[in-house]
Amino acid sequence: MDSQQITTLTGVLDKKMNRQLKQYLDICARCAICKDACHQYVATGDFTYLPARRAELIRQIYKKYFTKTGEFVPALYEARDPDENLLDELYESTYACTGCRRCMYYCPFSIDTAWILSVAKAILIAAGRGNEMLGQLADAAIFKSDNFDMFRDVIVSGFKDIEAELKELTGDPSAEIPVDKKGADILYVALAGAHSILPAAAIFHEAGTSWTLSMFESANYGFFFGDAEKARKIADRFMDEAVRLGVKEVVITECGHAYRVANIFHEAWTGKKHPFKVRHILEVIDEYIKDGRLKVSRCIDVPVSYHDPCQVGRNGGIFEQPRDIVRALATDFRDMTPNREQQWCCGGGGGIVAISEMDAFRLKSGKKKVEQIRATGAKIVASPCENCRLQMEGLNETEDLGVRIAAIMDLVIECMDLPGRKQAAEGA
Amino acid sequence: MSDDIKVDLELDLKGLLCPLPMVRVSQNITNVPVGGVIRAVATDPGAMADIPAWAQSTGNEIMSAGKEGSEFVFLVKRVK
Ligand code: SF4
Ligand code: SF4
Repeated sequence: MDSQQITTLTGVLDKKMNRQLKQYLDICARCAICKDACHQYVATGDFTYLPARRAELIRQIYKKYFTKTGEFVPALYEARDPDENLLDELYESTYACTGCRRCMYYCPFSIDTAWILSVAKAILIAAGRGNEMLGQLADAAIFKSDNFDMFRDVIVSGFKDIEAELKELTGDPSAEIPVDKKGADILYVALAGAHSILPAAAIFHEAGTSWTLSMFESANYGFFFGDAEKARKIADRFMDEAVRLGVKEVVITECGHAYRVANIFHEAWTGKKHPFKVRHILEVIDEYIKDGRLKVSRCIDVPVSYHDPCQVGRNGGIFEQPRDIVRALATDFRDMTPNREQQWCCGGGGGIVAISEMDAFRLKSGKKKVEQIRATGAKIVASPCENCRLQMEGLNETEDLGVRIAAIMDLVIECMDLPGRKQAAEGA
Repeated sequence: MSDDIKVDLELDLKGLLCPLPMVRVSQNITNVPVGGVIRAVATDPGAMADIPAWAQSTGNEIMSAGKEGSEFVFLVKRVK
């Protein structure tokens, strides 16, 4: 690597440097407590995935270029120039990380390894070593919004198909999926497919909500790729839509990272306060059930467990509402052990489900989740995150767990008195 | 029309939820030669915008995209 490239990479680190990051890089005591917190290290025993070791790669560059001791006696302080080997190691340990922040929870100094690795991603991108697939998915989302006129008709026609299903499900020919509705209370931001739109639409319809569906999906591959600018642009699409329509709140579908991006990062990236609230759909559903606005019966009589997605639970602070919803639907709720802040990551976060070369590793890293699910004896595992569900479906198949992995909204509509659902059940 | 076109790879993306159909097309594009064609069949309506957006932003070509019953059928040509 020539000196120009090294200057570029150290320049990225310099740009990202602030007091917090410096502190994280200075204070690690190498106690290795974090090793037992990381599902990937626990499942593989491979030092590449030990949280402190992942951060150490950035720490080595930091010591060489940002500390006097490392600059003058690099061997003593394990200071190192970024070279191709370091970038290889960094790529593997960084894009494998799910950003679950369980290591931070257990670290005595609360070192946020996932944050250090977000800086590592910026360095990898500057070196032309960002993950190609995640970059392509981010670019496709941005292309779609930059050229929205090209896609508008096809998107709206997809919504119309889902609306036809909604009419059937609710038994109400006037049921609709509103789009572009100025002055609605809620802008609901779903995923690109029908599965996150239809159940929410049925719930909003039954609760008599004033809502409108976003033209854009909440998934944010710019965030997973590690490019804050792309991530901001992707989130801007529906945040600008919310401002334009004058809604009171933006409600994010059952997706972990999208909720965290909308609720926590977007204001920091733009430096502007949102003129609306941001909530997760489960907060809204829980409120509807408790207020009596949404009637559900306790229709599930097999044991149900709940997996806290890291970005909804530990990093998003939503623990009780999903459990209260599941308890309202099921007679036998069985929490996993440990749970809430200490919940094990399932292994499917951080965009890793889109990185096919990591598929075998990803499934192997779900060892703790498999043990947890088995120990509950549950027949249904509910979780409000698409990535978690994809991972757990993979584990269900490879480990023969014999469970159903479900979105919470799907369970909610199964326990609602919906004429269309009853007809389908009777017809079956 | 698509009957005249030589398809190099068939991708069954039925049942996959977005963005997975787009992810699978992207993962498989290098499995056909430059100029080669993937025929992908998806059922998630989100794919109708996602797959063309991916193709255009990566410089590949959508030769056709359409609905056949409840399925969405794409012919994607690898350009580079
Ligand atoms: S637990 Fe914290 S202080 Fe200990 S090795 Fe890990 S990151 Fe360093
Ligand atoms: S954030 Fe999660 S996956 Fe990443 S190093 Fe920490 S415990 Fe491991």
